[in-house]
Amino acid sequence: MAADPVPERTPILAIDNLQVSLFTRRGVLPAVDGLSLSVAPGETVAIVGESGCGKSLAALAVMRLLPEPPARIVGGAVRFMGRDLAALSEREMQRVRGKDISMIFQDPMTSLDPVLTVGDQLIEAIRQHTEASWREAANRAVELLRQVRIPDAERRLDDYPHQMSGGMSQRVMIAMAIACGPQLLIADEPTTALDVTVQAQILELLKELQTRSGMGLIIITHDLGVVAETADRVVVMYAGRKVEEARVGALFDRPLHPYTRGLLGATPSAIRRRGGRLAEIAGSVPALSDLPAGCAFQNRCPDVFDRCRAERPALATLLPQQSAACFAAEKELSRNVAAIGT
Amino acid sequence: MLALAIDFARRFARNRAALIGFVLLVAVIGVALAAPWMFPRNPLRIVGRPEIWPFASSRYPLGTDSLGRDIAAMIAYGARTTLLIGLCASLTATLIGISVGALAAYFGGWVDELLMRMTELFQTIPNLIFVLTIVSILGQKIEYVTIAVGIVTWTPIARLTRAEFMSLRDREFVQACRSMGMGNLRIMFGEILPNALPPVIVLSSLVIAGAVLFESAVSFLGLGDPNVSSWGRLIGDGRTLIRSSWYICAVPGAAIMLTVLALNLVGDGLNDALNPKLRDR
Repeated sequence: MAADPVPERTPILAIDNLQVSLFTRRGVLPAVDGLSLSVAPGETVAIVGESGCGKSLAALAVMRLLPEPPARIVGGAVRFMGRDLAALSEREMQRVRGKDISMIFQDPMTSLDPVLTVGDQLIEAIRQHTEASWREAANRAVELLRQVRIPDAERRLDDYPHQMSGGMSQRVMIAMAIACGPQLLIADEPTTALDVTVQAQILELLKELQTRSGMGLIIITHDLGVVAETADRVVVMYAGRKVEEARVGALFDRPLHPYTRGLLGATPSAIRRRGGRLAEIAGSVPALSDLPAGCAFQNRCPDVFDRCRAERPALATLLPQQSAACFAAEKELSRNVAAIGT
Repeated sequence: MLALAIDFARRFARNRAALIGFVLLVAVIGVALAAPWMFPRNPLRIVGRPEIWPFASSRYPLGTDSLGRDIAAMIAYGARTTLLIGLCASLTATLIGISVGALAAYFGGWVDELLMRMTELFQTIPNLIFVLTIVSILGQKIEYVTIAVGIVTWTPIARLTRAEFMSLRDREFVQACRSMGMGNLRIMFGEILPNALPPVIVLSSLVIAGAVLFESAVSFLGLGDPNVSSWGRLIGDGRTLIRSSWYICAVPGAAIMLTVLALNLVGDGLNDALNPKLRDR
C-alpha cells in the first residue's frame, strides 16, 4: 500500500489546503491554516484539538456557515462528491445542507427551537428537502425517532424540547440530521454536554446509523476517549494547523508529534496504574495574533531544538499512513532508520 | 395546546387588575357588537330636543347633544370606530415594526444601520402633527386615519423586535436550522419570530390604547371621518358647551378613559402572564 494516509476509496469529502482567517481589529488571524482532509464512505474521521485550534471553524467552513464577518475562507477548496462547494450559490448550498451534509452540535438543549414541538421541527426538517406531505412527514418522523431509539415515539412528537433530557434531545438532533439520508454527517462535540453513560449510548447510536447507511462521519472532539471508541482515522490540530494524522490504532500506539503524546498523557485511562498524576502539557496555546516564527508548539514542546524556532515544520509522511509536522519526530525516525541500516 | 391555554388563562386571571381590565374590555366590545341592534338607525340622526341631560329622559338615557342627537347611540357606534381603528392601527404598526426590526437584527450591517436610522427619523417627528399631516394629505377617511396612526406608532415595536431578534439570532438552534438548509425568511419568521413574539404582543396591546387616544385627538380636532360617529368627535362637538352642558364632553371622555385603562390593564396582565421571568412571583 502507498505510504500516503489518503484512503483507497474515492472520498465523499476532500478538503484541500483550506484556509480560514479571522478579520479582526488586531489584524488578520489564520484560524485554520492549510488543512487538508478527506473522508471516505463509511469512514469516521476524528478531528482532535483543544478549544480554539480551529476544528469547529473548519467544520463550519465545510457547511459554508462561518460567522462572516469576522471569519472568511481565504484559500483552498472543499470538494463534496467531486463538487466544489465554494463555487455553489447560497441557494444551491441550502440544498446541500441537511440533505447531503448534515451537522449536529455540542449542546442539544439549545439546538432545538424551544417554542416548537419536537414533531414540528422533525417534520420541518423532512419537508425541507422532500416533497412529502405533512402526513407522510409525520409518519417518517415517528420512524426516525424509533431509529434513534426514543421510546414511545408517537407521543414524543408533541413534546417540547424542555420536556426532554439532554440525551433525548441529542437523539432528536441526530434524527433531524439523518432525516434526509445525508452522505456525510459532521458531529461537532456531539457528547461534550452529556454525561458519560449517555455519551457512550450516543456514540454507539452514531456508529450504528453509520454502519446501516454507509455515510461518512466527521467527529470533532477534544476527548480522546471518544476518538478511541469511534474513529478510523484521526487528525490532530494545533493552533489552526494539522500537526498529525494517523489511523486510530497507530496514533494511540505510537504518537509521533509531541503534542499528540502530551494529549495522550493528559487523558485518564482505566488501564494505567491508579494514583499517578496525569501528565499535563506545560504552558498554553499561543494567541493566534502572536504565533511565533517556526513551530507553533515550540514554547510547550519537550523536544524543542534550534530548527523548531527558526523554521515551521511541514506535514510529512513519516511512517506508512501516518504523517506529522515535527522536526524532532523526523530526526528521531531517521536516526532509527539509520540504526537499522547499519 | 389546550393545557397551555388553560395554564395561560390561570396566570392571567391571577392578576386582579388585569381581570377587571378584561371585563371592562369585553363590555366595550359587547356594546360595539350590539350597537346595530340596540340602535338600529343612524346614530348621527337628530332624534329630539337638544341638550337633554343624562337620566332626564328614559328614551335617551345618556341625553342628547347640542344638535339633539342621541348620545347613547353615538357612544355605542363610537365604540366600533374606536376599537376598529385601535385594532387595525396596532396591527399595521405591528406588521411594520416586526418586519423592520426582524430584518435589521437578522441581517445586521448596513441593513441594520439603514433601517435603524429610518426608525430614528420617524421617532423624531412629533406624532400628533405627523398623523394630522398624513390625514390632511390623504383625506378624512377612517382607513387613512388608521394607516396614519399605524405609521407613527410602529417605532417602539421595531426596536423591541430588533432587540429580541439580536439575542435570538446567534442561538444554537438558529445555527442548527441553517445547517439543515433552511432559508433566511423561513428561519426569521418560522423559527425566531415565535420566540420573540410574547413581548411584542404585549407592546402591541399597549399600542392599541395609544391608537385609541390618537383617533380621539384627530376626531376632536375635526379631522376625523365626518360620516362616522366617534368619541373624540363627540367631545370636539361638545366643547363649546362645556360651561353649561358639560356632560356632552364628559360621557365620551369617560368612555375613552375606561377603554384605554382597560387596554392598559390587559396589556400589563399579558405581560405578567407571558413573561416567564415574572411567572412565579
